[in-house]
Amino acid sequence: MILVVMDHDGNELRKGALEGVSRARKLAEALGGEVAGLVVGFGAEGVAEKAKDYVSKVYVVSGPDWETYTAEKWAKAAHAAAEAAGARVVVAPASRTGRSWTARLAVKMDAALLEDTLDSWAEGEKVYATKYSFLNRVLEKQAGSLPAVISVKPNTTPLAEPAGAGTVEPLAVELGELEKKVEVLEKIVETGGKVSLTEAEVVVTGGRGMGSAEAFQMIEEFADLLGGAVGATRAVIDAGWRPYAEQVGQTGKTVQPNVYFALAVSGAVQHQAGMNKSKVVVAVNKDPDAPIFKETDYGVVGDVHQVLPAMIEEVKKLKGA
Amino acid sequence: MKYVAIIRQVPDGESKIKVDGGRVNLEGATLILDQMDEYAVEQIIRLKEAHGGEAVVVAFGPERTEEAMRTALAMGANRGVLVTAEGYVDPVTQAGALAKVLAEEAPDAVFTGGQQADWDSQALGAAVAEALGWPSVTWTTAFELEDGHAKATHDLDEGAEVVRVALPAVFTTQQGLNEPRYPTLPGIMKAKKKEIKKIDAAELGVSGSKVEILEQTIMELERKGKIIDGTKEPAAAAAELIKLLHEEAKVL
Repeated sequence: MILVVMDHDGNELRKGALEGVSRARKLAEALGGEVAGLVVGFGAEGVAEKAKDYVSKVYVVSGPDWETYTAEKWAKAAHAAAEAAGARVVVAPASRTGRSWTARLAVKMDAALLEDTLDSWAEGEKVYATKYSFLNRVLEKQAGSLPAVISVKPNTTPLAEPAGAGTVEPLAVELGELEKKVEVLEKIVETGGKVSLTEAEVVVTGGRGMGSAEAFQMIEEFADLLGGAVGATRAVIDAGWRPYAEQVGQTGKTVQPNVYFALAVSGAVQHQAGMNKSKVVVAVNKDPDAPIFKETDYGVVGDVHQVLPAMIEEVKKLKGA
Repeated sequence: MKYVAIIRQVPDGESKIKVDGGRVNLEGATLILDQMDEYAVEQIIRLKEAHGGEAVVVAFGPERTEEAMRTALAMGANRGVLVTAEGYVDPVTQAGALAKVLAEEAPDAVFTGGQQADWDSQALGAAVAEALGWPSVTWTTAFELEDGHAKATHDLDEGAEVVRVALPAVFTTQQGLNEPRYPTLPGIMKAKKKEIKKIDAAELGVSGSKVEILEQTIMELERKGKIIDGTKEPAAAAAELIKLLHEEAKVL
């Protein structure tokens, strides 16, 4: 049995959940058994009704103790579900939260952890995966023994199609002392209602050359037009123009969208580490020697304050056509 | 009070790395204290300065890791403990060995970088915490002590969260938490005399790795490099760019 932990926003399954199901099905074909799912937390009962179209059984962990996320709780729930399902492999999204609890789960299960994987497969009693390392500069092939915990890098895997109706089974998990040690005092949602940076297929990042916090309104407008997410460079975060959650780079988030716009971004190595696996990279910069142009598919040498408004108009025309 | 930073020595991001026989070869690369761990080291020094006690640096890695540890000692940490092992050992296995060192040290708070610049892994801090039965907070941007607890702000996928955590606990660090100081010349001189205790990983029960690296290859994506001059007619350049993205790249 393979267990897939299915991320959701309280109403809908996230893309990461459906990427996880695809991976879990592939592993189940090689290792035998079926795919079970787990939904945890706020709104889990409702989401389970949607999740059961994808897996043979959905375990639901919910209730007042599970309204807020902590890594300790999610690891405990996943461990309980893995034991209930007799799962030898647990698949989860490699979101920031996913990567914080899967490490704990691997310790609980005494399992091999294959983290942030691009692909994964099984042969015999081993699981294999590919991932990036060395700031995204190296492609690495890894092998792990069973049991294993595998996290799936966002935007790497086809989304699963529904495959019949599974059953829903509530799972009672008691909080122990450890899980009570973290109390969430306040949640600050900075990208509420919009696509998350790590899952977005379009990312529009502004650099220091944008010149001001106000200039990011243009970036937001452009990102909204394309259904994308806004990113920012370290210099922009340091200047206090944008929140930390939007930082792309070595000390921020790693993104791998279909198309990445680097606007007024010079392209330091630390920034490249966060975006260099984007499928198509577009840059606008007034400095023709900016390092970002070496990493660019399509670039414009010019002033972003003149080029970006024109890009917005062109996209509006395109969408209107 | 005692505070620990878990650090790693990694290649500088700007340093050339090469692959020989399917493995990354770091010979010739500049090796540094992981930039994400610098925030952890700065944090334990600040806590020691504010509340007294001891700032200890702990690491798992090859003998050469001592160099990165000396950097942390030059910044102001008191002493170091290095668990030595050559070759690749996965973060979860490393965490098991480090947890034994930490159980003995019994610190009030542990800090380590949010992601390692060699493995691109985010597992170490959370795995150490789990092995100790301690809570963990990832991607911490603000930290303060409050009577046996810590109040911390940390990043999630879609924003941030403020949590109150019972100590001892493990925090993974990132930019924003503090501004790491540079080692001073007197600091560097003093660091040479500071104690680094070395323990062989085998003595802590490490007999291999649960994850094996089979092959590594340098990935350089070929980029098209089509550059349009938009200095004279920005609107025309924008139109051409959007047309290329729509018709040629088919991403819009």
